[in-house]
Amino acid sequence: MLELKEVSARIAGVPVLRAINAEIARTSTAAIVGRNGAGKTTLLRIIMGFVPFAAKGSVVLDGKDLSRVSPHDRPRLGIGYGPEDRVLFPSFTVEENLRFPCEVIRMPTKAVDRRMDEVLAIVPELAPLLARSAAVLSGGQAKMAVLGRSLMVGTRLVLLDEPFQGLAPVLALQYTEALKRLQGARPDLTILITESNRSLLKDIPSVTWTLERGAMTVAGGGSGPRGSLPEAAPSD
Amino acid sequence: MTTEMFILATLDGLSAAALLFMVALGLTLIFGVMGILNVAHGSLYAIGGYVAATLGLAIDKFGLSPALYLPALFLAAILIGPLLGTLLEVGLLRRILGKEHVLQLLVTFAAFMILEDVQRLVWGTQPYFVSNVMNQFGNTDVLGITYTNYQMIVLPVVAAVAYYGLRYFLTKTWLGREVIAMTFHREVATAMGVNAKLVSLLTFVIGAGLGTLGGALASPSTALLPGVGADMIVQSFAVIAIAGLGQLGGAALAACLIGLSRSFAVYLMPELAVLTPYIIMVLVLLVRPEGLFAATSMRRI
Repeated sequence: MLELKEVSARIAGVPVLRAINAEIARTSTAAIVGRNGAGKTTLLRIIMGFVPFAAKGSVVLDGKDLSRVSPHDRPRLGIGYGPEDRVLFPSFTVEENLRFPCEVIRMPTKAVDRRMDEVLAIVPELAPLLARSAAVLSGGQAKMAVLGRSLMVGTRLVLLDEPFQGLAPVLALQYTEALKRLQGARPDLTILITESNRSLLKDIPSVTWTLERGAMTVAGGGSGPRGSLPEAAPSD
Repeated sequence: MTTEMFILATLDGLSAAALLFMVALGLTLIFGVMGILNVAHGSLYAIGGYVAATLGLAIDKFGLSPALYLPALFLAAILIGPLLGTLLEVGLLRRILGKEHVLQLLVTFAAFMILEDVQRLVWGTQPYFVSNVMNQFGNTDVLGITYTNYQMIVLPVVAAVAYYGLRYFLTKTWLGREVIAMTFHREVATAMGVNAKLVSLLTFVIGAGLGTLGGALASPSTALLPGVGADMIVQSFAVIAIAGLGQLGGAALAACLIGLSRSFAVYLMPELAVLTPYIIMVLVLLVRPEGLFAATSMRRI
C-alpha cells in the first residue's frame, strides 16, 4: 500500500502541492488527473525522491517510510518509474534499456531473463524492437519501451507519468491493453498513472483523483473501493 | 618546406596529439557525467607533470634502478590523480552540480588559480626538465630524421591503450554503462538505481587520473614551468569543442588536428602557432556549432 500523508512541496518558493493525503491499496490502480502544471509530475517525482517536501509530510510504501530511502535504492524495493519525457538511453539498444535497471541492482542474469519474458508477455509490441537502437524509436514505441522498463523492476509499485500524452489512438489502445494484461499478470501491484485527459484511461483505474492547483480531490468514476481518500483530504 | 621538416612536424604533432588526447579524454568524461567544464583539469595536468619530474629526480638522487623511470611516471599519475580528484570532487565539484554554468566556470577557474600558486609554492618558477626516461628509450631514424622512441612510440601507445581501455570500460562493464546512463539523464539513471554520487566521484577520479597521466607522460619531453596547465586546458577545451562534447573517438581526431596544425605552424608560421587551436575551433564551430561528431540524440516526435 502506498500512503501519502500531508505531502506539501514548494518549487522556488511557490507552493506546488498542498497537503496531499491519499492511500492506494495493493492490487489497485490509481489515476491522478489534472491539467498541465497541476503538480502531477511533481507528485511522482516526490515519490521517487527527487523533490524535497515539507518535513511534516510522509510517503510510505507497505509500512516503509520512503523519505529514509535514497532515490537510487527505490528499484531495489520494487518501484518502477516511467518518466513523462520517455527518456531512454539512446546509445543502448531497446533490450539493453530494459535490462539496465535490473543490471544496476545486480539481479542475476537468469532472473533478468525470466523478468524479460514476463514483460514481453505484457507488452508484446516490444519483442520486434529489442535489437533496435533506442535512438531510432518513434514516440509511441519509446512510450512502450519506457513502460516495459518500468515493469522490469516494478513489482510492488509502478509510477507512469502521462503515458498517453501524444500517443496516436491505435497506440493508446495498445497501451491500455498492455495495462490490462499487467493488472492480470501482477494482481498485487500498485499502479499510479497521471493523465491530463480522463477519457483516455477508460476503465483502467479503480480510483481516480483530480489534482487541481496542487490540491487533490476525489473525481469519482472509480469502479471499486480499493483506493480511498482518507478523511484528512481537502473536500472543497 | 623540406621533407625533413615535414616529417619532423608530423612526428612532433602526433606526439603532442597523444598527450593532448589523454588530457581531453578526462575533461570530456567529467563534463559528460557532471555537466561541469572543469578548468582545474589544467592543474591536474601540471601537478601530474611536476610530481613525475620529482620522482624522476629522486630515482637519480638515490641511485635507484633506471628501470623505474617509466613506472615512476605512472606511479605519479596514480598517486596524485585520485587524491587531488577526490579532494576536488568532494570539496568543490559536487557542491556546484546543476548550478549555472558561469558559476561553475568561475569556481573551477578559482580552483585552478589556487592550484597554480600551490605549484609555484612547492616547485618554484624554475623550469623542470627531467628527460632521463626519454633518453633511456633511445632514438630511431625515420627517413633521415632522428626521433625519440618515447615520443614516437610510447606516447601514442599509451594514448591508444587509454582510449580503448576507457571504451571497453564504458560499453562492456556494468559500472561503465551506469556512467553512460548518467551522461544522458542523471535523474532517470538514478530512478533506475544508479548511485549518482558514487558514479560521479568515480568518473571524476578516472578523468582526473587521465589529466595527471597526461602531465606525467609529458614531463620527459616538455619543460615544466608556471603556465603549462593553462596552455593545456585551453588546447584540450578546443579539442572537446571541435569533437563535440562527450565524443571520445572524435576527440582523438580533433587532438590530431590540433596537434599537427600547431606543430606545422611552428615550422611555417611560428607567430600563428599559439593561435591555431582557437582558429580551428572557430572555423569548426562556425560550420558545426555542436562539434564535428555531434552526439546521438533521442528522436522526439
